[in-house]
Amino acid sequence: MSLVTAIPAPFPRGLGLTLAAAGPVALGAILAARAGTLTPLAGAPAIIFGVVAATSPALYIAIAATGEAPPLSKVARAFALALGAFGLALAGLVLPAAFLSLSSVSAVTTIAVVTAALGGAAVLALRRLATELATPDSSLTSSVIFIVWAAATLGIAGRLWIDLAREVMS
Amino acid sequence: MIGAVETIGATRSLGTIDLLLRDREVMLARIRHGDDVGALVRTMVVTIAIAMAIVGAALGSYRGGLQIGYAAIKLPLVLLGTAALSAPALTAIGAALGRRSRLASDLALVMAALAFGALLLAACTPLILLGRALELSYHEMILATVVMFAIAGLASLRMIVHALSLEALRHGTRDGASQRTLASGTVGWRSAVAGLCVVFTLVGGQLAWALRPYLVRPRTPEVPFVRALEGSLFDAVTGAFRSARGIYTRDEAPLPESDR
Repeated sequence: MSLVTAIPAPFPRGLGLTLAAAGPVALGAILAARAGTLTPLAGAPAIIFGVVAATSPALYIAIAATGEAPPLSKVARAFALALGAFGLALAGLVLPAAFLSLSSVSAVTTIAVVTAALGGAAVLALRRLATELATPDSSLTSSVIFIVWAAATLGIAGRLWIDLAREVMS
Repeated sequence: MIGAVETIGATRSLGTIDLLLRDREVMLARIRHGDDVGALVRTMVVTIAIAMAIVGAALGSYRGGLQIGYAAIKLPLVLLGTAALSAPALTAIGAALGRRSRLASDLALVMAALAFGALLLAACTPLILLGRALELSYHEMILATVVMFAIAGLASLRMIVHALSLEALRHGTRDGASQRTLASGTVGWRSAVAGLCVVFTLVGGQLAWALRPYLVRPRTPEVPFVRALEGSLFDAVTGAFRSARGIYTRDEAPLPESDR
Protein backbone atom coordinates (compact mmCIF):
# COMPACT_ATOMS: atom_id res chain seq x y z
CA MET A 1 0.00 0.00 0.00
CA SER A 2 1.25 3.46 -0.83
CA LEU A 3 2.26 5.73 2.00
CA VAL A 4 1.29 8.82 0.04
CA THR A 5 -1.16 10.96 2.03
CA ALA A 6 -4.70 11.51 0.77
CA ILE A 7 -4.17 15.28 0.62
CA PRO A 8 -0.68 16.71 0.05
CA ALA A 9 0.35 18.59 3.19
CA PRO A 10 0.52 22.33 2.36
CA PHE A 11 2.86 22.88 5.32
CA PRO A 12 6.06 21.35 6.71
CA ARG A 13 5.09 18.62 9.16
CA GLY A 14 7.55 19.95 11.74
CA LEU A 15 5.84 23.33 11.67
CA GLY A 16 2.44 21.76 12.22
CA LEU A 17 3.65 19.70 15.18
CA THR A 18 5.39 22.73 16.70
CA LEU A 19 2.17 24.69 16.40
CA ALA A 20 0.25 21.73 17.85
CA ALA A 21 2.46 21.99 20.93
CA ALA A 22 2.41 25.79 21.13
CA GLY A 23 -1.29 26.34 20.35
CA PRO A 24 -2.75 24.70 23.47
CA VAL A 25 -0.14 26.50 25.61
CA ALA A 26 -1.25 29.83 24.09
CA LEU A 27 -4.93 29.08 24.70
CA GLY A 28 -4.07 27.87 28.18
CA ALA A 29 -2.32 31.20 28.71
CA ILE A 30 -5.53 33.07 27.83
CA LEU A 31 -7.40 31.10 30.49
CA ALA A 32 -4.48 31.50 32.91
CA ALA A 33 -4.51 35.29 32.44
CA ARG A 34 -8.18 35.39 33.40
CA ALA A 35 -7.90 32.92 36.28
CA GLY A 36 -4.65 34.29 37.70
CA THR A 37 -3.07 30.83 37.94
CA LEU A 38 -0.53 29.05 35.74
CA THR A 39 -2.23 25.63 35.82
CA PRO A 40 -3.92 25.90 32.38
CA LEU A 41 -0.54 26.58 30.72
CA ALA A 42 0.48 22.98 31.32
CA GLY A 43 -3.03 21.58 31.69
CA ALA A 44 -4.25 22.31 28.16
CA PRO A 45 -1.42 20.55 26.26
CA ALA A 46 -1.38 17.73 28.83
CA ILE A 47 -5.07 17.01 28.23
CA ILE A 48 -4.77 17.08 24.44
CA PHE A 49 -1.62 15.02 24.04
CA GLY A 50 -2.53 12.74 26.96
CA VAL A 51 -5.97 11.89 25.59
CA VAL A 52 -4.67 11.36 22.04
CA ALA A 53 -1.87 9.11 23.33
CA ALA A 54 -4.30 7.14 25.46
CA THR A 55 -7.01 6.63 22.82
CA SER A 56 -5.12 6.34 19.52
CA PRO A 57 -4.04 2.69 20.02
CA ALA A 58 -7.69 1.80 20.51
CA LEU A 59 -8.55 3.20 17.06
CA TYR A 60 -5.78 1.20 15.38
CA ILE A 61 -6.78 -2.02 17.15
CA ALA A 62 -10.47 -1.56 16.33
CA ILE A 63 -9.87 -0.81 12.63
CA ALA A 64 -7.31 -3.61 12.36
CA ALA A 65 -9.86 -6.01 13.82
CA THR A 66 -12.17 -5.22 10.90
CA GLY A 67 -9.38 -6.14 8.51
CA GLU A 68 -9.26 -2.70 6.90
CA ALA A 69 -6.48 -1.01 8.83
CA PRO A 70 -3.75 0.70 6.82
CA PRO A 71 -0.14 -0.16 7.82
CA LEU A 72 0.96 1.10 11.23
CA SER A 73 3.37 3.57 9.60
CA LYS A 74 0.51 5.13 7.61
CA VAL A 75 -1.65 5.39 10.73
CA ALA A 76 1.22 7.09 12.61
CA ARG A 77 1.71 9.46 9.67
CA ALA A 78 -2.03 10.22 9.61
CA PHE A 79 -1.97 11.08 13.31
CA ALA A 80 1.06 13.33 12.81
CA LEU A 81 -0.73 15.16 9.96
CA ALA A 82 -3.91 15.48 12.01
CA LEU A 83 -1.95 16.93 14.94
CA GLY A 84 -0.27 19.33 12.51
CA ALA A 85 -3.70 20.35 11.21
CA PHE A 86 -4.80 20.89 14.81
CA GLY A 87 -1.81 23.18 15.41
CA LEU A 88 -2.37 25.14 12.19
CA ALA A 89 -6.05 25.66 12.91
CA LEU A 90 -5.22 26.85 16.43
CA ALA A 91 -2.64 29.28 15.03
CA GLY A 92 -5.44 31.00 13.13
CA LEU A 93 -7.80 31.02 16.11
CA VAL A 94 -5.49 32.15 18.92
CA LEU A 95 -5.57 35.88 18.07
CA PRO A 96 -9.37 36.16 17.76
CA ALA A 97 -9.78 34.11 20.95
CA ALA A 98 -7.34 36.34 22.84
CA PHE A 99 -9.13 39.47 21.64
CA LEU A 100 -12.59 38.17 22.53
CA SER A 101 -11.43 37.07 25.97
CA LEU A 102 -9.45 40.19 26.86
CA SER A 103 -12.22 42.56 25.73
CA SER A 104 -14.77 40.82 27.94
CA VAL A 105 -15.34 41.28 31.66
CA SER A 106 -16.99 37.89 32.12
CA ALA A 107 -15.06 34.70 32.95
CA VAL A 108 -17.78 32.67 31.22
CA THR A 109 -16.93 34.38 27.92
CA THR A 110 -13.26 33.42 28.31
CA ILE A 111 -14.12 29.79 28.96
CA ALA A 112 -16.61 29.73 26.06
CA VAL A 113 -14.19 31.32 23.61
CA VAL A 114 -11.18 29.17 24.51
CA THR A 115 -13.31 26.01 24.53
CA ALA A 116 -14.76 26.89 21.12
CA ALA A 117 -11.28 27.47 19.66
CA LEU A 118 -9.94 24.17 21.01
CA GLY A 119 -13.11 22.29 20.01
CA GLY A 120 -13.16 23.77 16.51
CA ALA A 121 -9.52 22.90 15.90
CA ALA A 122 -10.09 19.40 17.26
CA VAL A 123 -13.02 18.80 14.91
CA LEU A 124 -10.93 19.98 11.93
CA ALA A 125 -8.10 17.67 13.01
CA LEU A 126 -10.49 14.72 13.28
CA ARG A 127 -11.77 15.43 9.79
CA ARG A 128 -8.22 15.48 8.50
CA LEU A 129 -7.50 12.20 10.29
CA ALA A 130 -10.60 10.59 8.77
CA THR A 131 -9.48 11.69 5.29
CA GLU A 132 -5.95 10.37 5.81
CA LEU A 133 -7.10 7.00 7.15
CA ALA A 134 -9.79 6.42 4.52
CA THR A 135 -9.06 3.78 1.90
CA PRO A 136 -10.93 3.22 -1.39
CA ASP A 137 -12.49 0.07 0.09
CA SER A 138 -13.41 1.52 3.48
CA SER A 139 -16.58 -0.08 4.83
CA LEU A 140 -19.43 1.31 6.89
CA THR A 141 -18.06 -0.60 9.90
CA SER A 142 -14.73 1.24 9.88
CA SER A 143 -16.56 4.57 9.48
CA VAL A 144 -18.76 3.76 12.48
CA ILE A 145 -15.68 2.75 14.48
CA PHE A 146 -13.99 6.03 13.65
CA ILE A 147 -17.07 8.08 14.60
CA VAL A 148 -17.43 6.25 17.94
CA TRP A 149 -13.70 6.68 18.65
CA ALA A 150 -13.83 10.39 17.74
CA ALA A 151 -16.88 10.98 19.95
CA ALA A 152 -15.20 9.17 22.86
CA THR A 153 -11.94 11.09 22.43
CA LEU A 154 -13.73 14.44 22.21
CA GLY A 155 -15.91 13.51 25.19
CA ILE A 156 -12.99 12.54 27.41
CA ALA A 157 -10.92 15.60 26.45
CA GLY A 158 -13.94 17.90 26.76
CA ARG A 159 -14.80 16.60 30.24
CA LEU A 160 -11.19 17.01 31.45
CA TRP A 161 -11.02 20.51 29.94
CA ILE A 162 -14.29 21.67 31.52
CA ASP A 163 -13.18 20.27 34.90
CA LEU A 164 -9.87 22.16 34.58
CA ALA A 165 -11.62 25.41 33.58
CA ARG A 166 -14.11 25.13 36.46
CA GLU A 167 -11.34 24.40 38.94
CA VAL A 168 -9.14 27.35 37.98
CA MET A 169 -12.07 29.77 37.75
CA SER A 170 -13.56 28.82 41.12
CA MET B 1 10.88 63.62 -9.24
CA ILE B 2 9.37 62.47 -5.94
CA GLY B 3 6.13 64.20 -6.86
CA ALA B 4 6.02 62.33 -10.17
CA VAL B 5 6.51 58.97 -8.39
CA GLU B 6 3.70 59.81 -5.94
CA THR B 7 1.41 60.75 -8.84
CA ILE B 8 2.13 57.44 -10.59
CA GLY B 9 1.46 55.57 -7.32
CA ALA B 10 -1.84 57.38 -6.77
CA THR B 11 -2.91 56.73 -10.37
CA ARG B 12 -2.05 53.05 -10.01
CA SER B 13 -4.06 52.87 -6.76
CA LEU B 14 -7.07 54.47 -8.42
CA GLY B 15 -6.68 51.99 -11.28
CA THR B 16 -6.71 49.13 -8.74
CA ILE B 17 -9.92 50.46 -7.15
CA ASP B 18 -11.47 50.84 -10.60
CA LEU B 19 -10.47 47.25 -11.36
CA LEU B 20 -12.10 46.11 -8.12
CA LEU B 21 -15.37 47.78 -9.11
CA ARG B 22 -15.40 46.93 -12.84
CA ASP B 23 -13.52 43.66 -13.35
CA ARG B 24 -13.18 41.55 -10.23
CA GLU B 25 -12.20 38.46 -12.28
CA VAL B 26 -8.95 40.20 -13.27
CA MET B 27 -8.47 41.36 -9.68
CA LEU B 28 -8.92 37.79 -8.40
CA ALA B 29 -6.48 36.47 -11.01
CA ARG B 30 -3.93 39.05 -9.85
CA ILE B 31 -4.33 37.91 -6.25
CA ARG B 32 -4.16 34.25 -7.26
CA HIS B 33 -0.88 34.77 -9.10
CA GLY B 34 0.51 36.87 -6.26
CA ASP B 35 1.24 39.88 -8.50
CA ASP B 36 2.39 42.76 -6.28
CA VAL B 37 0.20 41.65 -3.41
CA GLY B 38 1.83 44.09 -0.97
CA ALA B 39 0.82 47.14 -3.02
CA LEU B 40 -2.65 45.69 -3.48
CA VAL B 41 -3.12 45.23 0.29
CA ARG B 42 -1.91 48.78 0.95
CA THR B 43 -4.39 50.18 -1.60
CA MET B 44 -7.21 48.14 -0.09
CA VAL B 45 -6.38 49.30 3.45
CA VAL B 46 -6.49 52.94 2.36
CA THR B 47 -9.71 52.31 0.41
CA ILE B 48 -11.39 50.71 3.43
CA ALA B 49 -10.18 53.51 5.72
CA ILE B 50 -11.50 56.30 3.48
CA ALA B 51 -14.76 54.60 2.47
CA MET B 52 -15.66 53.61 6.04
CA ALA B 53 -14.72 57.08 7.32
CA ILE B 54 -17.24 58.52 4.84
CA VAL B 55 -19.89 56.03 5.98
CA GLY B 56 -19.07 56.74 9.64
CA ALA B 57 -19.34 60.48 9.09
CA ALA B 58 -22.71 60.00 7.38
CA LEU B 59 -23.98 57.90 10.30
CA GLY B 60 -22.59 60.42 12.79
CA SER B 61 -24.40 63.23 10.99
CA TYR B 62 -27.70 61.83 12.32
CA ARG B 63 -26.75 63.37 15.66
CA GLY B 64 -24.24 65.88 14.26
CA GLY B 65 -21.39 67.71 15.98
CA LEU B 66 -18.53 65.71 17.43
CA GLN B 67 -20.23 62.39 16.60
CA ILE B 68 -19.44 62.92 12.89
CA GLY B 69 -15.72 62.81 13.62
CA TYR B 70 -15.99 60.08 16.24
CA ALA B 71 -17.86 57.67 13.97
CA ALA B 72 -15.58 58.54 11.03
CA ILE B 73 -12.58 57.43 13.11
CA LYS B 74 -14.13 54.37 14.73
CA LEU B 75 -15.83 52.63 11.80
CA PRO B 76 -12.58 52.15 9.76
CA LEU B 77 -10.89 50.85 12.93
CA VAL B 78 -13.62 48.25 13.39
CA LEU B 79 -13.36 46.87 9.86
CA LEU B 80 -9.56 46.95 9.60
CA GLY B 81 -9.08 45.51 13.10
CA THR B 82 -11.55 42.72 12.42
CA ALA B 83 -9.86 41.90 9.11
CA ALA B 84 -6.41 41.77 10.73
CA LEU B 85 -7.61 39.41 13.48
CA SER B 86 -9.80 37.21 11.26
CA ALA B 87 -7.97 36.81 7.93
CA PRO B 88 -5.34 34.36 9.32
CA ALA B 89 -8.20 32.02 10.25
CA LEU B 90 -8.98 31.53 6.54
CA THR B 91 -5.40 30.48 5.84
CA ALA B 92 -5.03 28.35 8.97
CA ILE B 93 -8.30 26.41 8.68
CA GLY B 94 -7.78 25.87 4.95
CA ALA B 95 -4.21 24.64 5.48
CA ALA B 96 -5.37 22.30 8.24
CA LEU B 97 -7.75 20.63 5.78
CA GLY B 98 -5.20 20.46 2.97
CA ARG B 99 -5.93 23.66 1.06
CA ARG B 100 -2.83 25.21 -0.55
CA SER B 101 -3.22 28.54 1.13
CA ARG B 102 -0.83 31.49 1.33
CA LEU B 103 -1.28 34.05 4.06
CA ALA B 104 -0.38 37.02 1.81
CA SER B 105 -2.82 36.02 -0.94
CA ASP B 106 -5.59 35.23 1.54
CA LEU B 107 -5.05 38.55 3.29
CA ALA B 108 -5.19 40.34 -0.07
CA LEU B 109 -8.40 38.49 -0.95
CA VAL B 110 -10.09 39.34 2.35
CA MET B 111 -8.98 42.98 2.16
CA ALA B 112 -10.14 43.27 -1.47
CA ALA B 113 -13.53 41.78 -0.60
CA LEU B 114 -13.91 44.11 2.39
CA ALA B 115 -12.83 47.10 0.29
CA PHE B 116 -15.52 46.16 -2.24
CA GLY B 117 -18.09 46.03 0.56
CA ALA B 118 -16.83 49.32 1.99
CA LEU B 119 -17.16 50.99 -1.42
CA LEU B 120 -20.74 49.71 -1.73
CA LEU B 121 -21.47 51.16 1.70
CA ALA B 122 -19.90 54.46 0.67
CA ALA B 123 -22.24 54.42 -2.33
CA CYS B 124 -25.14 54.11 0.15
CA THR B 125 -24.25 57.28 2.07
CA PRO B 126 -26.73 59.43 0.09
CA LEU B 127 -29.47 57.12 1.42
CA ILE B 128 -28.22 57.68 4.99
CA LEU B 129 -28.23 61.43 4.42
CA LEU B 130 -31.72 61.16 2.85
CA GLY B 131 -32.91 59.39 6.01
CA ARG B 132 -31.54 62.28 8.04
CA ALA B 133 -33.20 64.82 5.71
CA LEU B 134 -36.56 63.00 5.98
CA GLU B 135 -36.10 62.87 9.78
CA LEU B 136 -36.54 59.11 9.97
CA SER B 137 -36.89 57.85 13.53
CA TYR B 138 -33.83 56.43 15.32
CA HIS B 139 -35.09 52.85 15.00
CA GLU B 140 -35.91 53.27 11.30
CA MET B 141 -32.38 54.56 10.76
CA ILE B 142 -30.97 51.57 12.63
CA LEU B 143 -32.96 49.16 10.45
CA ALA B 144 -31.92 50.96 7.25
CA THR B 145 -28.26 50.81 8.36
CA VAL B 146 -28.52 47.08 9.14
CA VAL B 147 -29.97 46.43 5.66
CA MET B 148 -27.16 48.41 3.97
CA PHE B 149 -24.43 46.64 5.96
CA ALA B 150 -26.05 43.26 5.25
CA ILE B 151 -26.04 43.91 1.49
CA ALA B 152 -22.41 45.03 1.57
CA GLY B 153 -21.42 42.06 3.76
CA LEU B 154 -23.10 39.58 1.42
CA ALA B 155 -21.36 41.14 -1.59
CA SER B 156 -17.98 40.77 0.16
CA LEU B 157 -18.72 37.19 1.14
CA ARG B 158 -19.80 36.35 -2.41
CA MET B 159 -16.46 37.63 -3.73
CA ILE B 160 -14.50 35.44 -1.28
CA VAL B 161 -16.61 32.35 -2.03
CA HIS B 162 -16.25 32.91 -5.79
CA ALA B 163 -12.46 33.30 -5.51
CA LEU B 164 -11.98 30.17 -3.41
CA SER B 165 -14.33 28.04 -5.52
CA LEU B 166 -12.33 29.01 -8.63
CA GLU B 167 -9.11 28.14 -6.82
CA ALA B 168 -10.40 24.71 -5.73
CA LEU B 169 -11.62 23.95 -9.26
CA ARG B 170 -8.31 25.09 -10.79
CA HIS B 171 -6.17 23.00 -8.45
CA GLY B 172 -8.34 19.93 -8.90
CA THR B 173 -8.18 20.19 -12.69
CA ARG B 174 -4.48 21.04 -12.88
CA ASP B 175 -3.39 18.24 -10.58
CA GLY B 176 -5.60 15.66 -12.25
CA ALA B 177 -6.71 14.80 -8.74
CA SER B 178 -8.84 11.82 -7.90
CA GLN B 179 -12.49 12.43 -7.12
CA ARG B 180 -11.86 11.85 -3.41
CA THR B 181 -8.98 14.31 -3.25
CA LEU B 182 -10.95 16.86 -5.24
CA ALA B 183 -13.92 16.41 -2.91
CA SER B 184 -11.67 16.88 0.14
CA GLY B 185 -10.23 20.07 -1.30
CA THR B 186 -13.71 21.37 -2.07
CA VAL B 187 -14.89 20.63 1.47
CA GLY B 188 -11.70 22.24 2.76
CA TRP B 189 -12.30 25.63 1.20
CA ARG B 190 -15.94 25.64 2.26
CA SER B 191 -14.93 24.90 5.84
CA ALA B 192 -12.30 27.65 5.64
CA VAL B 193 -14.93 30.18 4.48
CA ALA B 194 -17.37 29.00 7.16
CA GLY B 195 -14.62 29.34 9.79
CA LEU B 196 -13.74 32.81 8.52
CA CYS B 197 -17.42 33.83 8.72
CA VAL B 198 -17.74 32.60 12.31
CA VAL B 199 -14.51 34.28 13.46
CA PHE B 200 -15.27 37.47 11.52
CA THR B 201 -18.80 37.70 12.99
CA LEU B 202 -17.61 37.15 16.57
CA VAL B 203 -14.58 39.46 16.39
CA GLY B 204 -16.40 42.11 14.32
CA GLY B 205 -19.41 42.04 16.63
CA GLN B 206 -17.26 42.39 19.72
CA LEU B 207 -15.00 45.12 18.28
CA ALA B 208 -18.00 47.08 16.99
CA TRP B 209 -19.64 46.64 20.40
CA ALA B 210 -16.52 47.85 22.22
CA LEU B 211 -16.22 50.98 20.05
CA ARG B 212 -19.92 51.92 19.97
CA PRO B 213 -21.84 54.28 19.57
CA TYR B 214 -21.95 55.17 15.87
CA LEU B 215 -25.56 56.16 15.30
CA VAL B 216 -26.78 58.41 18.12
CA ARG B 217 -30.19 60.04 18.71
CA PRO B 218 -30.17 63.74 17.74
CA ARG B 219 -31.43 64.79 21.21
CA THR B 220 -28.50 63.10 23.00
CA PRO B 221 -26.80 65.94 24.93
CA GLU B 222 -23.26 64.54 25.03
CA VAL B 223 -21.64 61.63 23.22
CA PRO B 224 -18.59 59.73 24.46
CA PHE B 225 -15.89 58.57 22.01
CA VAL B 226 -16.42 55.05 23.36
CA ARG B 227 -18.64 53.79 26.15
CA ALA B 228 -17.13 52.28 29.28
CA LEU B 229 -16.33 48.56 29.00
CA GLU B 230 -19.55 46.91 30.18
CA GLY B 231 -18.73 43.39 29.10
CA SER B 232 -18.79 41.67 25.75
CA LEU B 233 -21.54 41.49 23.15
CA PHE B 234 -22.05 37.89 24.33
CA ASP B 235 -22.57 39.18 27.91
CA ALA B 236 -25.10 41.75 26.65
CA VAL B 237 -27.03 39.16 24.63
CA THR B 238 -27.05 36.81 27.64
CA GLY B 239 -28.26 39.68 29.86
CA ALA B 240 -31.01 40.57 27.38
CA PHE B 241 -32.24 36.95 27.36
CA ARG B 242 -32.28 36.91 31.17
CA SER B 243 -34.17 40.23 31.29
CA ALA B 244 -36.67 38.90 28.73
CA ARG B 245 -37.34 35.99 31.11
CA GLY B 246 -37.91 38.43 33.98
CA ILE B 247 -34.52 37.83 35.66
CA TYR B 248 -32.97 41.21 36.51
CA THR B 249 -29.59 41.90 38.09
CA ARG B 250 -30.52 45.45 39.18
CA ASP B 251 -33.67 47.03 40.63
CA GLU B 252 -34.21 49.54 37.82
CA ALA B 253 -32.49 51.09 34.80
CA PRO B 254 -30.34 54.14 35.69
CA LEU B 255 -31.94 57.57 35.06
CA PRO B 256 -30.20 60.50 33.34
CA GLU B 257 -28.83 63.14 35.74
CA SER B 258 -31.56 65.66 34.74
CA ASP B 259 -34.42 63.28 35.70
CA ARG B 260 -33.12 62.39 39.17
